[in-house]
Amino acid sequence: MFKKRRENKSPASPNRMMLRRTLFLMIVCGIVAFIALAVRLFQLQILDHDTYESAAVEQQLRQTTVSAQRGTIYDRNMNILAMSASVSNIYISPAEIKMNEENPAYIAQGLADILGLDYNDVYQKTLNTESWYATVARKVEDDVTDKVREFKENAGRNAMGEPVADESEHKSLTGVKIEEASKRYYPYGSLASHVIGFVGSDDHGLSGLEFYYDDVLSGTDGRIVRATNANGTDMMFTDFEDYYDAVDGQSMVLTLDQTVQYYLEKHLETASETYDLQDGAAGIVMDVNTGGILGMASLGNFDLNDYLTISPEAQERVDRADIHTEEERDTLLEEERQLQWRNKALSDTYEPGSVFKIITLAAGLESGAVDPDTSAFYCGGSIDVLGRTDPLNCANIYGHGNLNLADAAKYSCNVAFVTIGLQIGAEQFYQYIRAFGLFDKTGIDLTGESGSLWWTEDVFFDKTNLSQLAAAAFGQTFTITPIQLITAVSAVANGGYLMEPYFVSEFLNSDGTVASQREPTVVRQVISEQTSKTCCEILEGVVGSKDGTGVNAYVPGYRVAGKTGTSEDVVYEAVHGTKKYICSFLGFAPADDPQVAVLVVLENPGPETQYSVSGGQMAAPTVGAVLRDILPYLGVSPEYADGEEALVDQRVPRLVGKTPAEAEAVLTDSGFTLKQTVGSGAAVTAQVPAANAKVAAGSEIILYCGEEPPTEPVEMPDLLGLSYEVARIRAGWAGLYIRGEGTMMKSDYVLTVSQSVEPGMPVEPGTIVTVTLNDGTKTGIF
Amino acid sequence: MSVAAKENTVTYENTRLADYTYDNTIDRGSIDIPFALLTLLLLTVGVVMVLSASFARAYYDPGNTTGGNATYYFVRQALFALCGVGVMFVCSRFPMGFYRHISGIVMMVALALLVLVLVPGIGEKANNARRWINLGFTTFQPSEIAKIGVIMFFSVLICRFKDKMRTFRYGIVPFAAILGVVCFLLVLEPHMSAIIIILAIGMVMLFLGGLPLYWFIGGGVAGAALLGIGYALFPYVRERFYAWLNPFADASDAGYQIVQSLYSIGSGGLLGLGLGNSRQKYLYLPEEHNDFIFSVVCEELGFIGAILILALFALLIIRGYWLSMHARDRYSALVGAGITTHLAMQVLLNVAVCTNSIPCTGISLPLFSYGGTALLLQMAELGIILSISRDVPEKR
Repeated sequence: MFKKRRENKSPASPNRMMLRRTLFLMIVCGIVAFIALAVRLFQLQILDHDTYESAAVEQQLRQTTVSAQRGTIYDRNMNILAMSASVSNIYISPAEIKMNEENPAYIAQGLADILGLDYNDVYQKTLNTESWYATVARKVEDDVTDKVREFKENAGRNAMGEPVADESEHKSLTGVKIEEASKRYYPYGSLASHVIGFVGSDDHGLSGLEFYYDDVLSGTDGRIVRATNANGTDMMFTDFEDYYDAVDGQSMVLTLDQTVQYYLEKHLETASETYDLQDGAAGIVMDVNTGGILGMASLGNFDLNDYLTISPEAQERVDRADIHTEEERDTLLEEERQLQWRNKALSDTYEPGSVFKIITLAAGLESGAVDPDTSAFYCGGSIDVLGRTDPLNCANIYGHGNLNLADAAKYSCNVAFVTIGLQIGAEQFYQYIRAFGLFDKTGIDLTGESGSLWWTEDVFFDKTNLSQLAAAAFGQTFTITPIQLITAVSAVANGGYLMEPYFVSEFLNSDGTVASQREPTVVRQVISEQTSKTCCEILEGVVGSKDGTGVNAYVPGYRVAGKTGTSEDVVYEAVHGTKKYICSFLGFAPADDPQVAVLVVLENPGPETQYSVSGGQMAAPTVGAVLRDILPYLGVSPEYADGEEALVDQRVPRLVGKTPAEAEAVLTDSGFTLKQTVGSGAAVTAQVPAANAKVAAGSEIILYCGEEPPTEPVEMPDLLGLSYEVARIRAGWAGLYIRGEGTMMKSDYVLTVSQSVEPGMPVEPGTIVTVTLNDGTKTGIF
Repeated sequence: MSVAAKENTVTYENTRLADYTYDNTIDRGSIDIPFALLTLLLLTVGVVMVLSASFARAYYDPGNTTGGNATYYFVRQALFALCGVGVMFVCSRFPMGFYRHISGIVMMVALALLVLVLVPGIGEKANNARRWINLGFTTFQPSEIAKIGVIMFFSVLICRFKDKMRTFRYGIVPFAAILGVVCFLLVLEPHMSAIIIILAIGMVMLFLGGLPLYWFIGGGVAGAALLGIGYALFPYVRERFYAWLNPFADASDAGYQIVQSLYSIGSGGLLGLGLGNSRQKYLYLPEEHNDFIFSVVCEELGFIGAILILALFALLIIRGYWLSMHARDRYSALVGAGITTHLAMQVLLNVAVCTNSIPCTGISLPLFSYGGTALLLQMAELGIILSISRDVPEKR
């Protein structure tokens, strides 16, 4: 239309054209453009509202976390096994550093100095100015945090870190932040490390009970959410603040006993050294009546407070390994860590060997396949089994001859137990395996439990090939975990009730009140009380008879029952080409009223040991030592049979100050004899050995009345290969005393195998030397 | 203007004489009430919004200017607004002949000030640009005077050249020369947004003055070419474009203003957070009582409130054009349309920047943005339109 207008040259035309053009502008600038903007606003405010609002809210709200206190883990006597203490996380807010014009280099240097970090690392973090949160150091202890707080206060300096005289220019550093956090402490270090487990840097459990019960222990973190202005301070007139209270985690009381655990670990470590174990050891102490775990250990241990550090030996392996890249090294390091964190008692499956005869025995008795009084076996050293080309050998290749049921167990006769197994029959045998829970995991409240591995039914039930059944009867050709075995054997010992093993008996609220309690769980009754009683009697014979294979687990004053086991790791042999033996022993006591069971599994004894490889030689003494320490501790009082008391070391009474006559009377009463009285004083002024020293019963004590005991060194005699009594007398000749460890049994075969002071060494008169006794005849694969 | 003249039908032919005289100032008609009311209404809302938008910054005082007085900006803006109302009514009293008479002088003064502002010591430098002259009690931008100067002086020239506007010699050369000088001086400051507005005003004046349309097609092509050259030559232009298209790519720096503005507008939703309840104004949104005050309006009053404010502006602008179309003479028509266009440009470009519809540049929102002298000049311009409205016949 404008074109047309241009050609019209009437005098009014420019004016009318102007009107039209003004009208055009009015429409464009007054209507069209506004509609376009309205559409744009509709898009931003209505369609994209949620997106922009949430982004805006995110930058306007600051969230502060209030950490929930992680629950404490107590042993059953309320000793603290794991606890949290408050520490601080140090972080910086690069955005605030920039916004408040603070000096990043000054802050980086200050923090690096206080926290012992690399300046460049910290400085790099300050450069990411979009970030409000960059962690500098985690879990900083209070004394260091105080220094950081002082640095943040920045007294007498401005934001740039320069000293200023004028107080009004002083600015504290807003970019440095301190956040409360908590750190996990394990007061006993490596004790029960595999059971307790550890937490990661985020304070959440990574292994053990810390992991299994993480939800219960950790509680729920609280939050404070508030609106702030862009500088991070409060938003005026906007008192928006939301609190979400933290719920502290619950504490747990375990069935685990710190003292029992200590003894278990101590004796396992002794075993590890004495028998030169190549692949560590596992041990479990269980309350047979409840299924509660009193102790569970897996060697090697590690310090829970420093769980990433591997043992010096493992470190040496890594250092020695033929590796070239940092990556390979890390992989190897990680493998070693996984290995040291592995709970053998729960995760490692093995062929239990002869220990399993306990289950075969119980199944045989319960099913009526055998009878304790009438069953008779003949062992000629081997037995032919349908489906096998070679006969199955007994540990004693010359044969045990005629045996009753108790003898079969006592001598761990394979031939007899194969016979029992065949009499039970494959189907019935598997019924008992299932009833003893050996097909399933036990359901213990700890992560990492492995499952067992058995022949499938069609193979096992094969009527034309009984070799699987025959081998299974004495504990071979299947694998189970130590926890499965001790749980099943506890059922044999406790009257036939299969218990569900567990660690946690009580959950406590943060105020200490009981939140919930766990009662022992009976899974089912597997065998009758009578069968259980018979089994206990038979198994007591294994340890209590001089000719039993388990005599090395004997504890004077206690009726210990048990069974030895020695098995070969066939998989290991296939892989490494060398034999690997697993020596185990499962003992429980007292046999007439079983309270506690101990299983010890020693893996791969090495060439450095002087003992022959056998469960009876290695694992039995270890279980014996554990029982000897824990039974009195658990309040099981000893009952000495005839002459048994003489096997127990006694404490020397305090005689100083008494007259010689009085002293002699006291000595005789407490099972000692007087060797001589030196000097003529009216009262005893000194005694050898000193009061309260523990020495062999019958030791000869010397009294000094007015004279000093001699200090001239004497030579340590050779006490090896002697009975305890002979060793005591021989030591007495040199003016020395002995104390006994190991198999304290009166038997012709129990002899001293080591002494704590090497023969020929000069020692002070009156020195007490510890000798270890052992029945060295209990060798063999049984 | 006499009552008789008022009653006559005014034509452009018989008003030619009146174009050159301004002695008939006694007994003119009254001002246009709708235009005046719209102006006062928007001004009132604007001052209230300055209070709401500015008090957080005034209180926290990150720039050490207010001394923590939360009403610092509001009190000043309110005083200037009162003065502005006075200025508007004073300006509406002067006859259009007077404005026509002083048009050349205003242009000369504007040019002189544009030169003066470049002199260090007179012009104040801020953010690498010399745009402000400090009078001691207040500061002002000569570019604001240049805008009104261009409107008034171009109108005079167009009235004088009349049909010769079709020719290159009269229609292009003198105008291009003036715009060239003004833009050159603004480039020296530099002041990009002022250049855009003055060029746009100049083009609109020529468009109204009857310049053949093909010049605008050529002008459009030339403008696009200039933009392309600027984009190629100046990195900061490229950065502006990049930040416009990808504001979230560098949300803490180049895109910061845009992103914060979008957060504010988007947060508002349909009904807004309520007057005074903006959260973005707590130092997140920069220039919140200034160039981005409309973002606070959107956040607090929501889509409904923002549309209402825009509708008031649209009505004011439509009324401004309407009054120009009914002006007594060509000069009045041209000045009225020019001033209205100036107002429209500022409003449209400001809202477009706030909503990230165009690349970010510093354009204030008339009657809303904090700034004393700018407000006074705006009120003076609107006063001139009211003066034009006095000569519009009552019968409509």
